[in-house]
Amino acid sequence: MLLGIDVGGTFTDAVVVDDNQVIRHAKTPTTHGSLLACITQAVDQSLIGLKSSEITRVALSTTIVTNAIVEGQLAKVGLLVIPGPGMKIENLLPVPPAILSGYTDHRGRKVAGIAEHEIRAAFDCLKDCDAFAISGKFANRNPGQELEAAASLRQQAGHRHISLGSQITGSLNFWRRTNSAYYNAAVWSCFQEFANAVEAALRQRCIHAPVYILKADGGTMPLSVARTIPVEAIFTGPAASVFGVMTLACPAVPSVSLDIGGTTTDIALWQQGLPLFAGQGIAIAGYPTSIRSLRLRSVGIGGDSLVRWENNHLKIGPQRLGPAMALGGEYPTVSDAFIAAGLVNFGDRKRAEQAMAQIGGASLSFAETANFIIDQAATQIVQAINALISEWTAEPVYCVADLVNTSAFKPELVIGVGGAARGLVPAVAQKMGIACRLPAGGAVVNAIGAAVARPTMEVTVRADTAIGEYTVAECGVKAAVPRLRFEMPDVQQLGKQYLLERAAQAGIAVEATELLQQEEFHLVRGFRTIGKIMTCQLQVKPGVLTTISGFSGEGWQ
Amino acid sequence: MKKQLGLVFFPAFDWAISPTHPERQERLLYTRDQIVEEGLLDLPQIQEYKPRLAEYADVNRVHIGVPAISPLITEAHLVSAGGAITAVEAVMKQEVKRAFALVRPPGHHAMRMVHGTRGFCTINIEAIMVEYLRKNYGIRRVAIVDTDVHHGDGTQDIFYHDPDTLFISFHQDGRTLYPGTGFMEEMGSPNAFCTTLNIPLPPGTGDEGLHAVLDGLILPALADFKPEVIINSAGQDNHYSDPLANMAITAQGYAKLAEQLKADIAVLEGGYSIEQALPYVNVGIVLAMAGLSYAEVVEPDIQRCPGQSAATTAYIQEMIQKWQGIWRARHDLSRQAKLAAGDFWHRNRSIYYDDSGIYDDQRERVRMCPHCVGYHIIESQAEHPGQGLVSAFAAILPRFACPQCRKDGQDAVHAAKRQGRYQHYFLQDKEQDFLEKL
Ligand SMILES: [Zn+2]
Ligand SMILES: [Zn+2]
Repeated sequence: MLLGIDVGGTFTDAVVVDDNQVIRHAKTPTTHGSLLACITQAVDQSLIGLKSSEITRVALSTTIVTNAIVEGQLAKVGLLVIPGPGMKIENLLPVPPAILSGYTDHRGRKVAGIAEHEIRAAFDCLKDCDAFAISGKFANRNPGQELEAAASLRQQAGHRHISLGSQITGSLNFWRRTNSAYYNAAVWSCFQEFANAVEAALRQRCIHAPVYILKADGGTMPLSVARTIPVEAIFTGPAASVFGVMTLACPAVPSVSLDIGGTTTDIALWQQGLPLFAGQGIAIAGYPTSIRSLRLRSVGIGGDSLVRWENNHLKIGPQRLGPAMALGGEYPTVSDAFIAAGLVNFGDRKRAEQAMAQIGGASLSFAETANFIIDQAATQIVQAINALISEWTAEPVYCVADLVNTSAFKPELVIGVGGAARGLVPAVAQKMGIACRLPAGGAVVNAIGAAVARPTMEVTVRADTAIGEYTVAECGVKAAVPRLRFEMPDVQQLGKQYLLERAAQAGIAVEATELLQQEEFHLVRGFRTIGKIMTCQLQVKPGVLTTISGFSGEGWQ
Repeated sequence: MKKQLGLVFFPAFDWAISPTHPERQERLLYTRDQIVEEGLLDLPQIQEYKPRLAEYADVNRVHIGVPAISPLITEAHLVSAGGAITAVEAVMKQEVKRAFALVRPPGHHAMRMVHGTRGFCTINIEAIMVEYLRKNYGIRRVAIVDTDVHHGDGTQDIFYHDPDTLFISFHQDGRTLYPGTGFMEEMGSPNAFCTTLNIPLPPGTGDEGLHAVLDGLILPALADFKPEVIINSAGQDNHYSDPLANMAITAQGYAKLAEQLKADIAVLEGGYSIEQALPYVNVGIVLAMAGLSYAEVVEPDIQRCPGQSAATTAYIQEMIQKWQGIWRARHDLSRQAKLAAGDFWHRNRSIYYDDSGIYDDQRERVRMCPHCVGYHIIESQAEHPGQGLVSAFAAILPRFACPQCRKDGQDAVHAAKRQGRYQHYFLQDKEQDFLEKL
């Protein structure tokens, strides 16, 4: 049995999944002061009548990290950077950094060494920091100087946490790695406390199953990994929803999924059964990071969106001024249109019709006004879908073949989940001229997504045969290439070994791995080929542990 | 809000002239590494653009491919020309203040008539961009400043008879480097006199010499010419570490040049020190064009950069003064050149295509018309390896051609076709915007 928990802005949901069925679901208000309270309450509710020892996995999508950042509950972090020559970075970071000399170049070669005395001097200014982050340019190509600096700093920093940029990702982008390392250090102790509390609470309930934390890209990570890279647990809500869609609807054709809630619609695109990932990491408080996420777009339209006229234009959202009139609110909302149009069956229909009369006046019937509102809302959602597709299409590529052989993404299916999906998704699908699906279980889709999302993990192997070395940044490895003829298949094989090893260490069972990207260049010097640079990035394939074909329990829509 | 810089980055990681050629997949690899690693593409001042594909019509607006352009080029050429067009569009649509097309393959050695590839170039991406700009945005006066170490002989050829295009090229002296042209005396044909400025610099010229030329000659000439658009053919092989040339410019020198030139659009040309120079020079140019500090963009091996000798400094000073004199007297000199030419200006040239092994014997004539810049005839006899002689006759009708020149140019190509001494006949009508093969 899988236990999935989603801590949302308003409600915290828990579900228990057993054998393709959701057998329990619980909803409790989110307790913002202490997330543990609502988590344990949701868990207790969902476990009523079940044996807690039968739970085989617990997975959490939580706002603990997001809240820490949004509410400014960040630890004081001492940031040390090794930028070498290039862009001036000091004014672009969340805190002013201590700049260390030293430089590793694009091939991962140490060009200038770091100086111990600078680290000591930096520490003197940063003594009272709770945690530290160290980031070096091209440390993903050779983490050596970050590790050296960390070892030196460790002598003074004692047991305080030190985050390294290279351990967060093996991808290029010093600025993003530095921001990521900073935020990782800043939320580190807050997350440890949370993790300790969650573990203790589960132990109390005799749940000894392994605990996983959802990431922004919809993969999960074992709690032990989350404790080292807690920043990955940011902005997980939309990812939980998307992986819930995967298990409920298994989109096989190119699709669009919409999670339509009270005030927003989250859009995701699907290809070959998987959601599309964002080309770039997310931004935290305006600072770009290397934290991977899904390719999503949010538009300010939901069931509670305010409907009104402004300068002779019908406006919908993004603001909410309370619930629908049919549910006791004061102003017309999109949900009132659903009720008046007979698309959903809740609330006070008379009040919904009054709302329609306020908008449509005497000349239009209630149904005409309702359809007009729904049409307007659907138009805005379709525009946002098209904008997301264009944004994806406009993303630069660096090979001629990729530029020339492009095929347009044409969705064939709209999948809707969330409270307001029933009222809007058919209209969106109709506008796009394609089919739609409203899978059951959409009301607790996030908790379902968390329950079933597979753990993921990645490694980046970069071999430079001219230098005769390879690196695996995420593992802090730099070693000699193992043999004379070392080709791309060998790099892939090596990458897979490291990935499986790293996964095993974290306790992740690997079903399948996949290649995220690879590059191969011949190094030519003086018209002679002297070696190759080969990079490959592999990951444990994301997905869901099981599909869900039904439910047992009450209140399922 | 308008961003400072549009960056069209296209390293063409799957394209090479041949596996070990300087124009190979690896050329912009380390530049990509540096740009991405710095995080330049994430800066709020910079917008990255995906290049579009240029259309054959865009290419034929400039070039006369023999027997046609399509068999001579690959999709990569259409992407790099398209990248330049994407850059100019971003500026003209006011999405960005300036743009940099950091693309390959390069183009500045490609001349109007194209038989093959020379100096790694097959089609001239800046020229295609300029004519696109004129066709679609009604721009007339354009300046192109070529800062590649090699003389931009292709761009010079294309605009040699066009008084609306100021072409300035500084480069390592043609007596010491490919393509062996670009001397001060090449100043444009009489109707476009002194809209071609060549500044051949001695080997060993450093940042000091480059900036003396910029301040003493290039910036004043630009101020006098008053172009609507300034384009920089931003080759980077003047760098002290470049394997194909012998100059001593640094990333700081190039970045400061970009800052002061204030080009609306820069387009990458050459630059083959792919590890020691390009990552730093490109980061410097990108930062300078985006209005950001480039003070810390310094090559790790900067101590290898030789200083500029006193003799070189003196030589450059003297040349600047000589040029300043010519520039002041350019209107008189232009009248004299027209008088000397008579009814037709003509020249014979031998053009070598080093990448294709083709020798072209070219004869050009331009009508010295009092009413317009005059129609232009190219007669070409090119020896192709393995194919023998490929010959072509082309008449080019300029923009704003007078009726007489339009008629005479058309008659000339039809008469040549009747005589039948050539294999291919072309009419390039720049006014009506078409290239016709007769
Ligand atoms: Zn060059
Ligand atoms: Zn005329």
